[in-house]
Formats: sequence, C-alpha cells, structure tokens
Amino acid sequence: MKAGLKVCGMRDAMNIQAVTALHPAYIGFIFYPGSARYVGSVDPELLTSIPATIKTTGVFVNAALEEVKRLIALYQLKAVQLHGAESPEYCAALQPYTEVIKAFGINYSFDFETLTAYEKVTSYFLFDTLTVNHGGSGKRFDWSLLKQYRLNHPYFLSGGIGPDDVNELASIDDKRLHFIDVNSRFEKSPGLKDIELLSTFFTLWNAAPAAKNYNDMNYFVNEKGYYGDFGGAYIPEMLYPNVEELRQHYLEIINAPDFQQEFRALLKDYVGRPSPLYLAKRLSEKYNANIFLKREDLNHTGAHKINNTIGQILLAEKLGKKRIIAETGAGQHGVATATVCALRGLECVVYMGEIDIQRQAPNVARMKMLGAKVVSAVSGSKTLKDATNEAMRDWINNPVDTHYIIGSVVGPHPYPDMVALFQSVISEETKKQLLEQTGNDQPDYVLACVGGGSNAMGMFYHFINDKDVKLIAVEAAGKGVHSGHSAATTALGKEGVLHGSRSILMQTEDGQVIEPYSISAGLDYPGIGPQHAHLFKTTRAEYVSVSDEESLDAGLLLTQLEGIIPAIESAHALAYLEKMEFTGKENVVVCLSGRGDKDMETYMKHFGF
Amino acid sequence: MNRINQLFEKKKNNVLSIYYTAGYPGLGDTVAIAEALEESGADMLEIGFPYSDPVADGPVIQASSKHALDSGMTLDLLFKQLKELRNKVTVPVLLMGYVNPVLQYGVENFCKACAEAGVDGCIVPDLPMYEYEELYQDVFLKYDICNVFLVTPQTSEERIRKIDGLSKGFIYLLSSSATTGQNLQVSDTTSAYFSRIKAMGLKNPTMIGFGISSKETFDKACLYANGGIIGTAFVKSLQSPDPAKGVRSFMEEFTGTVSSLS
Ligand SMILES: Cc1ncc(COP(=O)(O)O)c(C=O)c1O
Repeated sequence: MKAGLKVCGMRDAMNIQAVTALHPAYIGFIFYPGSARYVGSVDPELLTSIPATIKTTGVFVNAALEEVKRLIALYQLKAVQLHGAESPEYCAALQPYTEVIKAFGINYSFDFETLTAYEKVTSYFLFDTLTVNHGGSGKRFDWSLLKQYRLNHPYFLSGGIGPDDVNELASIDDKRLHFIDVNSRFEKSPGLKDIELLSTFFTLWNAAPAAKNYNDMNYFVNEKGYYGDFGGAYIPEMLYPNVEELRQHYLEIINAPDFQQEFRALLKDYVGRPSPLYLAKRLSEKYNANIFLKREDLNHTGAHKINNTIGQILLAEKLGKKRIIAETGAGQHGVATATVCALRGLECVVYMGEIDIQRQAPNVARMKMLGAKVVSAVSGSKTLKDATNEAMRDWINNPVDTHYIIGSVVGPHPYPDMVALFQSVISEETKKQLLEQTGNDQPDYVLACVGGGSNAMGMFYHFINDKDVKLIAVEAAGKGVHSGHSAATTALGKEGVLHGSRSILMQTEDGQVIEPYSISAGLDYPGIGPQHAHLFKTTRAEYVSVSDEESLDAGLLLTQLEGIIPAIESAHALAYLEKMEFTGKENVVVCLSGRGDKDMETYMKHFGF
Repeated sequence: MNRINQLFEKKKNNVLSIYYTAGYPGLGDTVAIAEALEESGADMLEIGFPYSDPVADGPVIQASSKHALDSGMTLDLLFKQLKELRNKVTVPVLLMGYVNPVLQYGVENFCKACAEAGVDGCIVPDLPMYEYEELYQDVFLKYDICNVFLVTPQTSEERIRKIDGLSKGFIYLLSSSATTGQNLQVSDTTSAYFSRIKAMGLKNPTMIGFGISSKETFDKACLYANGGIIGTAFVKSLQSPDPAKGVRSFMEEFTGTVSSLS
C-alpha cells in the first residue's frame, strides 16, 4: 500500500471542484482566522457536496471546543486537524464526533515522547514543519528526524512538499506513513491551487514504485529472531552460549568493510563468481518461455553451498574458533565445508547419514581427500536429519573451540538469516544480469528446489519485495506426496520445532518427526527453514512438489537439450517447468543449484546407461 | 505445596533423583520401576517422555527413547500410566523431554494433564527462557508445575540469576556442557564452577546431573549441590523381563551410604 494524498488550504468553488476531480483522500479547509488560507464563512453546500469518498477536513488552531463541534456539524466535517496546543483530553472530546488528526511541528528539539499521550485519542498524527504561524511556511523539515518516531500510529507527512518530491517520497520506507499532505507549493496564490501541477503530481505519484521494503508484511527476520510465527532459537542451554555469541556478533562482523572485502574477493577469485545467467535456448523453445539458468553448478566444488561456507569460515575465524563441524546430505555442503577448512587450515568433521554415504560416494571421497573426518550417522533414517542431530550433539560436547557451519537456512536464529545473507549473492547477481540481458531486473517467475531452502532463499532474497515476481519453491515428492515415501514438507507438515527453530515439519499427531524420503539426498529432509515457512504461510511464495521420476526425467532433458548434467536436487526445480503454462513472453529464472557428477550412479541405474 | 518444594524443605543434602525413559524396557514398566525406586530410596523421579530426535542425549537414552516409541509410547498413554503411578508412589515426579511433543499436545493441555496425573515439574531443555517467560509461564504457574532450567559451566552469572528468578523447584546443574551419558570427572575446573555456583547463594536448590554414574561421583556432586541425578547409568542397568529386580540391586550401591548420611 502506498500513501494517499491530501490537498489542503482550499476555498475557491471552481478550484475545489477541479481538485475533487483528482480524487485525493482528503481535502482540507482552514478554519484558523490567522491563516492566509482562512475559509471564512464559506457556504456549507460547497463542502457537503464533495463525494463521501473524499474526507473533508477542518483545520483548527486552539479553537474553543464548542466552536469546533458547531463547525463539524454545520459543514459535516469528516475529520479535524488540530495544529495548536490542543491537549489529549481536547482530542478525546472530539473523537465521538469525527476523525481526529493531531498535528505536530517538528524540529531538532521536538520530543517524540509527547506523542504517546495522543496515540489513543487520535486516528492519525500529522508531522509538519515547526513555524510560529502553525504551518504554511512552504518549507520542509528534516525528514530523517522521523527515525526517532517509535510508535506504530499512522501519520500524515506535511510541510513544504513540492512537485519535484515524488521520488524522494516514494523511497520513504515506512508503512506508518499513510498520507502525504500538499498545499502551498502547488499554489498560484494563497488558497488557489495550480491544477496542472497537482494533476501531474498525482499521476507521477500513482505511477511511482513503492519503496523497496514498503510492505504491509515483513518477510525478513525481526529483532527477536522470528519470521512471523516462525524461527526463534529452541536450543538446550548447552548450545546457548555459542548461539548467543553468534547472534550478538554476526551482523556486525558480516557488515564490516574488511569482512566484505575478503568475502567478495574469495567469491570472485576462488569460487569463480559471478556465476553466469544463461539463457537456455533449446529449453526455452521447448517450454515456450525465456528460461534463464542461474549457473550455481559452475561454482568451485559444484554447487551453491560454497557461498555459505566461505562466509561462515571467515566468521568462525573472527570468533576465534579452531574446529569446524558440519552436517551434509548430498555431500555438497560437506565438500564445501571441507574445502574452506583446507583453504584456511582448520580441523573439519562432517556428519553424514549412513545411507547418504552410500548414495553420494564420490563426495565422501572428496571430503576425505580434503582432510575432513567423515562420521557416519546411524540413527533414525540415517539421512540429513540424523546427520544434523549428530552435529548438534558434537557442538554440545565441544562448547568452546568449535563452530558449527550449518549448510542450509535452518537451525536456531541467527543461522537462517546468516545463511540467507551469504546466499543472497545469487539473486543480487541475477538482478544485474537480467537487467543487462533483458532490460528489466524483474523476471516473471523465479524457481528453486528446497531441501532446507538455502539455494531457494538466496535465489528469492532480492526478489521478495518485488511483488510482481512470482516465487516458486519446489519440494521433493519422492514416490508421490501421499505415498508414505516423500519429503514434501509443506504438503505434509504441520507447525512445530525441529533443529532449533519453529517452522513446518513432517510429524505424527504426537509430535514425533516423520522420516522423509527422496531420491535426492539434498532434499531428503522433513523440515524447511523458518523464513520459507513464513513465505509459505503468507503465500508470498508458492510451494509445489515433483516426484523422483519427474526430476530424473528433467535432469536427462536438460542434459540432452543443453549439455548440462544437473544435480538431482536442481532437476526438481527444472521438472516443475513441465507443469507450468507459458505464452512465449515470460522471463523465467531457474536456480541450477548444482551439477550432477555426484549423481551419476543414480542416473545410470535409473536410465540403464 | 508442590511435592518438589516439600522435598527440599525437609531434605537439604544428598537428594537422589533417578531418570528413566517411560515405556522402557517394556511399554508397561513405567509404574513398576517407579515403585521399586521409591522403595529402594529414590527421593525424586524424572521420567523421560520419548522423542524421535533427542539432540541433547547420548546413545543410551537415544536407544531407550527409540525403543519406547517403537513399542507405542505416547503422551496420552504416559499420562494414563502416571495416574496409576500416583496412587502408589509419593515422591515428586518430573517429566523430561523435548518441546515439540509438548507443543503438539498443546502447552495448556500438557500442564493440565500433568496436574491431573500428579506430576510436579517438567524439564524441557529446548524450551527457551524467552518463550517460556513470554508465552508459557502463566500456564505452568496456573497448574503449579515447576519448570526446571539447566545451567552449564558456560552459562553467565547474569543468566544464572535470571534462571534463578524464573525457577520454582530446583536448578539443574550440568556437570559439563555435554550430551547425556558422559562420565563425570570432577576436575579443578568443574569444582571451581560448582563452587562458583554455590557461592552465588541462589534462592533455588540445585541438583547436579549428567555423568553421575557411581557412588563416588554422586558423593562428589553432593559436596556442591543439594543432590545428584542419575540417568544413563540407571537406564543401562534396566533389563527385561523384571526391571524392578534390577532397580533394587542398582540402588543398593547408592542408598546404603546415602541414607546413613541423610
Ligand atoms: C545441488 C544442491 N541443491 C540443493 C540442495 C538443497 O539444499 P538447500 O535447500 O539448502 O538449497 C543441495 C543440498 O545438498 C544441493 O547439493
């Protein structure tokens, strides 16, 4: 929602008619005799004939209460705007009769604490430039002073707003700003508005994009570590000191210039970023859309996972940790972790489910060669969930010198936010590349597969507030969503707590976690990250699923049309293209999260090569 | 008054608390084990309600939990068993487990069922202090269920003070940051940690747990706290088909001297 407009200081009949035709939300009439725009004893008919969808507003300065009530009745005022030293009691006395807007003149010494007493007795505040004449100076106040405004009460912004201010106004990132009040800067003479100027301003304002984060909904983490109902840090006391240390320092460390410089340099020179955005021509022809592949498979080590491990290893060093642990499913995160540990000379232990050790053998060999110790997790379904349990147990038993590099946007706060930040380079680059290649940084669709959700969150990150971009997250349906052998978390799950955060997970009535199944080791997980749960619940992103069979076919199709063998995880995202309908014009970005070398045995077995 | 508070009012030293997993080794053994424990001198019982992903537990308790779940243990069944247990056993009973089953049961339903079954307290290690205070404390207090928090050698003094303020019943001191089932070694650093806590003069009694497996380690713990909790070592000793028999021989080692001290 973008702020509405109010035009103030009207009195001329023809002029009022012309402004009414522009349909502002409010039209203001000044009943303060000291103003150059004082209405005097205007014919009530002039106000009462204005359509009810426009709120006629009387502006007063320290007027007698009874007089204000009389004028409300006479002119049928929908609102009053009080510019004097009216008390909260005064506002309360008018509330039964009409909407009350209390105006405040803002300058550097304004005490925002005074507002609290007015919150309950007004519908809105109005922030104006402080002048001796109670407004109307044509000057703006320093809008950055509004940073001190802490209440949730909606407000009007007023004072010296002019025809050239559209862009600046559109960039104000504050959902409490409900209306913008214009007056003297649009006048031919006091009380007479320049309709042409106003009309241009209205057109420009209505066309202006909303501020980047200008949402009714916040899709990112709040200061308590929650995304809406999800997130938090549900951890035993043994993990608290480590997680709390991270929580206190992660933003400060990540945002420091020297950290960013080193992180960016490694992404460029070691990982090989930016990864290409490739327009897959033959795939595009097949699906009748412009299909762009974000080539995370071309990163060093073959998947997006390294973006996160580079970030976390630098962070671990800043925290003085000597030993690194990780969990892994497909082995890509394990390899990415073993790689950065070799790079920086740190001890590395990777937990991996016994079943995954078998089905992702090449990655196990790579980890060993890189010097990591691979520990087999033999509990539960012997896959990613159980590897994560073992890693958490290790961290509990090694509380001082160890950093746990979680491989996805799961775990206790701040992990989901931290991992998303490191992976957000994917959408950061994609936007630039799209702009270069198509002239528009917003595609129609963005698709990614979801295990815990890190490649998807990185791919969605900078598009989340672009409301027209449709975000599609593809989960693993295994042998079919309702086959009893599936990892389609949003379809099968309920809200609950797993691995330290409140999210959506597959569980029994009794709250026992259900063992998931997918042919893809990286998607074989019974939960999703808390930010995904929030995007799902708010419907900002759509969550769908494809089966083992469908994803293997999509993997083969990409291989034979484009000469790219995708990881089976990534093939899930590709498989969903088959279920979409296009008209030939759409721009579609698919995150190709990793390459298929590790999956050759599965592909070979399935297709009988 | 809650049975836990009554216990610490009359017994300040060598309080012996025993942990075991509900429904292990046999689904129906929960009550018989409790009776045998009370008879052979346990002061307090901590009964684990099993969870599929017990991240704070070592292999022994993981295995007992899995076994109990596979045999069909659920919270509903456990509450039925606990009602029967309460007719036969007078010592305080706490439930210990993870937060997700509690959330699915409903925190209010859970506390109400605890109160109706004569449960006196809960230990839910992954229920964070912030969420407890903001969302659930009122419910726990309404049903007079003591929520017990854990403290480790790494817990800051400020946080321990906060825990002391929120606790009713006792505070659970972990001998070290560890999953269950390690062996307690009272080194210089652990004794410094225990002494530090003792010197803080907390308003709640303290119990030391995790790694107490022998009379010797129990006695050491009792030097610094009001008592000790035995878990893994006890669970290991349980054997079908007559676990109660094993209970008595296990407890002999502890109770002989313990009762003479108390
Ligand atoms: C190539 C690839 N894509 C996707 C995933 C799934 O993880 P996430 O959902 O965190 O991106 C994995 C995990 O191992 C992977 O290796």
